[in-house]
Amino acid sequence: MTWQRLSARTAVVRATWLLPPLGSALLAALASGGNLDARCWILVGSTGLTFAVITLSGLLRLRTTRYRLTADALETRVRLLGSRTRTVPLTRIRYADLTAGPVHRLLGLEVLRVGTAGAGDLVLDALPREEARRLRERLAAQSDGDRTVLSAMNLRWLRYAPLTFWVFGGVGIVVGSAFRLLDQLGLEPWRIPVVARVFTDYGPGALWLAIPLTVLGVAVIGGIGATAVYLENWWRFRLTRSDPETLRVTRGLFTTRSVSMERRLLRGAELAEPLLLRAGGGASVRAVAGGLGDAEEARARSRVLPPAPRAEAVAVATALLGTSPEVALLPHPRAARRRRTTRGLLWAVLPFTVAFLVLAALFGPGWLHGAWAWCAASSAATWWLARDAHRSLGHAIAGPHLMIRSGTFSRDTVALDRSGILAWTLSDSPFSRRAGLASLTAAVAAGRHGYRIPDMAADEAAGFADDAAPGILREFLVPGVTFATSGNPTPHPAPLHPS
Amino acid sequence: MTPLRLRPPRHKADPRARTWWTVQALVVFSGPSLLTALALLVLSALFFPGALPWLAPLTTVVLVLPALAYLLAMPRLRYRVHAWELSTGAVYSASGWFWREQRIAPLSRVQTVDTVRGPIQRAFGLASVTMTTASTAANVTIAGLSSADADEIATRIGAAARLETGDAA
Repeated sequence: MTWQRLSARTAVVRATWLLPPLGSALLAALASGGNLDARCWILVGSTGLTFAVITLSGLLRLRTTRYRLTADALETRVRLLGSRTRTVPLTRIRYADLTAGPVHRLLGLEVLRVGTAGAGDLVLDALPREEARRLRERLAAQSDGDRTVLSAMNLRWLRYAPLTFWVFGGVGIVVGSAFRLLDQLGLEPWRIPVVARVFTDYGPGALWLAIPLTVLGVAVIGGIGATAVYLENWWRFRLTRSDPETLRVTRGLFTTRSVSMERRLLRGAELAEPLLLRAGGGASVRAVAGGLGDAEEARARSRVLPPAPRAEAVAVATALLGTSPEVALLPHPRAARRRRTTRGLLWAVLPFTVAFLVLAALFGPGWLHGAWAWCAASSAATWWLARDAHRSLGHAIAGPHLMIRSGTFSRDTVALDRSGILAWTLSDSPFSRRAGLASLTAAVAAGRHGYRIPDMAADEAAGFADDAAPGILREFLVPGVTFATSGNPTPHPAPLHPS
Repeated sequence: MTPLRLRPPRHKADPRARTWWTVQALVVFSGPSLLTALALLVLSALFFPGALPWLAPLTTVVLVLPALAYLLAMPRLRYRVHAWELSTGAVYSASGWFWREQRIAPLSRVQTVDTVRGPIQRAFGLASVTMTTASTAANVTIAGLSSADADEIATRIGAAARLETGDAA
């Protein structure tokens, strides 16, 4: 293959970032009736200058970048004054992803991103669609043909969208950006007559009505927003497998994404059930896979199933693992629940109760109501959450997998390939030692790298680690029930076992 | 099933490490805290003598006592905990002072070995050895080694890694 150029249409895509500043300047011009102030002119001028510089350098790069696929490597070359050639051996390619933003798609372009085992990604931005797909197929040695569909988008899953973070977080982000836009246009939202009247009429006077209404409004808007985000991210979602090499996720409405993972780099799967989603009977799935890029990229690429019915999530996890993730787990000692209760009392109940009491001492006994109300409500919540957190805790050896479950706000069930465990870490603190507890962390070269079993019985931790991944710590084990106190000449007394 | 426990690693940190950790505590936390307390009290004595009766106990509790406790306790506890051992197949290290960690990683997984001598460490003839692997949760650091020990450990880990020809991932 001879040296090829990137698509010339890319120049148009590169120019589209000009639209938002141009749009906001236009809006400002409309809002102020054509009388733009100095700040606005400076903005327009500097944007224009930056645009010229960036476009020129972008065009230069576009004209000078070449790529080619040889028998055993993908090469790129930038020839501008000097010349820079980069060669990626095909055997070193870990993934080849295609993405296309809305503008890319309008112009029939796709961005090819090639991840390697060593240095950063090699990005070809952008290629004509057919060329990109052909190249990806050859790079990843996989065909778009005979692929088994493991899971595909079902519109009924949209009901789980409002049960994600985006309900409240999304509204916050939108309101923040709206304020910033208004500020850039020189408008102060509380000066708008309608807003001001609503605020004076209903704001302070009727708090009992205003607060629930605001919460309801945020929930409704957030629900709609979350559904939109879900649709944009997961439209036409398909998880496919071509035996035995690769898994592939394709998804996206305006921006399409296609992520491939090699099965030989798969080290397990994770079933994620955040509190709200769990209450609604849903779950999502992440793959525990290596070679997905840096931590942030890996987090985004490892998602193989959006929030969906729990049964679907279990089925997808089963397909990834070969066995079902739903196995009986060993519970953790009751002391683990006491630790969680104590934490809640110490960090949620105590500080605000004290704060209310201080306020009562300073401004009058009215604040005492706040103190007892907070104390009662947060104590009840702590009791419930601690119980749930303790019930969530569990670990087990299930065939080829090590199972770990923990968390209450986000309950995660992880199944790790036992043969993929690289190292063990046993950790504790004076408090956990007194409770007879310790945490065990399994290290794998995939996903989050460290997977922790929090607060298991200290006496069982070392033996369990040796059973789960035999050989790693065998030679440092000795019989005895006392938890190791490394370097300490006086052995720690055997921890009490309340359970 | 007889319960099993991890025995502590065989070798303790170098005794000079205690001094190193003390200096570290002084530089990082205790020194700045004590200086801040001193500055506050001197300024208050010079310009606001009326504030001393409540400022003195407050700075003592918030700044002076924690600084002294950290300075005295941290190096001792660390010295009790820190230990290491290198067997034919694995490296085993214990570290920490409040939160303790015992980590065991097989030598067959080693990717790189770094020996680090910081400016303070060098003054005491100490060094740390870090062994990295394909998983960040499997990287092992042994701190507070004598310089000679560190070199020997690095050589031995490096030799073990070279014997292993397979994919360390």
